Amino acid sequence: MNKKLALIVVLFFAMGAILSSCAFLQKPTESNFKDPLIKLSSIQPSYYEGFWYYGKAKPAMGKAPKGGGSSPVTLDFVFEITNPNKYPIQLESSSFFLYFDDYELRVVHDSNPMWIPPGKTNTKVMHVTLTPFSTFVKFLLASKQLALQRGDKPWVKIKEWWTKLPEMSFPIDLKEGSFTFTADGVTKVVPISIRYQQ
Amino acid sequence: MKRITFAKWLIPALALVFLVGFSTTGLAKVIKVGGIMDTTGATSDVGKDYAIGMDEAFKYINSQGGVNGTKIKYTWFDYGYRIPEAITKYKLLKRLGSIAIMGWGTGDTEALSPTINKDKIPYVSASYSAHLTDPKKTAYNLFFSSDYSTNARACITAWFDKKWPKHPDYGKRKPRFACAYMFASPYCSAPIKAIKDHARLLGFEIGPDQDVSLFALDTKSQIMALKKFKPDLVWHGNTTMSVSATIRDAYALGLGADWIINNWGFDENLPRLAGEAAEGVMGATPCAFYGQNYKFMDVVLASAKKYNPGVPQAKRLIRTIQAWGDALILWEALKRADKAGDLSGPGIMKKGFETFRKFDIGLGASPITFTATDHRPTTGCLVQEWKNGKFQEVERVDLKARWPEKWEKEWLGW
Repeated sequence: MNKKLALIVVLFFAMGAILSSCAFLQKPTESNFKDPLIKLSSIQPSYYEGFWYYGKAKPAMGKAPKGGGSSPVTLDFVFEITNPNKYPIQLESSSFFLYFDDYELRVVHDSNPMWIPPGKTNTKVMHVTLTPFSTFVKFLLASKQLALQRGDKPWVKIKEWWTKLPEMSFPIDLKEGSFTFTADGVTKVVPISIRYQQ
Repeated sequence: MKRITFAKWLIPALALVFLVGFSTTGLAKVIKVGGIMDTTGATSDVGKDYAIGMDEAFKYINSQGGVNGTKIKYTWFDYGYRIPEAITKYKLLKRLGSIAIMGWGTGDTEALSPTINKDKIPYVSASYSAHLTDPKKTAYNLFFSSDYSTNARACITAWFDKKWPKHPDYGKRKPRFACAYMFASPYCSAPIKAIKDHARLLGFEIGPDQDVSLFALDTKSQIMALKKFKPDLVWHGNTTMSVSATIRDAYALGLGADWIINNWGFDENLPRLAGEAAEGVMGATPCAFYGQNYKFMDVVLASAKKYNPGVPQAKRLIRTIQAWGDALILWEALKRADKAGDLSGPGIMKKGFETFRKFDIGLGASPITFTATDHRPTTGCLVQEWKNGKFQEVERVDLKARWPEKWEKEWLGW
């Protein structure tokens, strides 16, 4: 009987502690929602085959892609995101435009949500796979004007980037980015513009 | 025994109370919608702005309570304009539980159409191919805009009404007409049959088509070929980059023809890229240009600034508005279907989309109607021209009003 009573008392206090800790949690509002801190800690090539490209070829098996084949590279962008708030927040989506040497290559986007506890830092990894050929296509569209202005030859530039990727010894920028966070229905968008520093 | 039972039930119960208290958001019901976008491929010059506009639209929709109080979880992927990748991404989105998908290009949308029909997943695309408008063949394909064939018929009609009567040869001979587009692109070639049909209907003499790649940098040989035919009017069916290259070359080589452009080649970047060669160029505009004065435009602009503050406003295009057009019709259809208690694929179609009667998205688009037998969203489109530094209205052409019998009996689905 005493043991049972003791258990009830302990549970009662435990419940009280849990509920009171909930009560102390701040309720998110537009005004108290502080910007989470976003740091690009590294860019990691997770798949790399060097540089190669062929225009037309007859594969031993399967069908060759239109426009030929070229060496893919997968880059992992590792961010550290700190929640300075007194309540948990959710990273709802994140996106940025990837630039090599001021040439816009593509939008990198992720919509997998992630909770970040109050005062804690989480790691978010965003991935992108690039090929020389898809990069060449950008030279025919969005990057065409810049290449003409600079007198850059697309394949020369692409080969240079692919061969320098292991050292990442050229300017890599993450621009026009936005990370969208929510907390209890309140939304906070944090813009990012980062030049990768090794 | 009693003590064991007590502990056995109370502790898990408390754990449940604790968990529920901290995870209401995590457990909240959501409606899943997928997206297949081109931000890297052959149409990325127009696809990137569309993709980010779509994302902003869904964020806004959620800020307004989503679908009658249920949030939308919008998940999108880039597919680089590669049809096999579009099919792969479609299958992934289906596995993830998407009840509707926002699609992109004509090639992939038409390739996916039989699968979409089988899966009964409403597919709202940025392809406005008229091939997707006959519910007997493509029951689950939708878009908010006038289709490409309607666009072209409207542009030819507007030129014939407004420009041809001012030509010195008017009344002396037939007007001459030609087309420039990438033959191998399903998007570019989708309306060709309708275009030729309409040119014949209005009494044009039709010249040889010119093949212009979506990546074209130099189109002088095509312009020289056109010069032999001496067209009065040329339709261009590509996207902005290659359209601007073509009209620049035509201007430099003195072709002397007027241009009408399909909607994906006619945007705010065209005068930036083509300069004075863009003067007088006409195009199909399925909705307002970015920032033009329409009742819902303030919301679009505010959302762009709020959700993508790093993207300069000067870089935003009509593509954002087009994305909103597709998002807004899906939102409306989902709300109607949900109210009717049926968010299944057939429910979204029958109790959502196919209940639209002259629905106005508030962004300059023609009113939208879908019926069980006709998925052409509009009966015409607004034709505008670039003149004196701004886009100006030429004519809002209503094909159904002008050719009611042909509209009803002949022109559906092509």
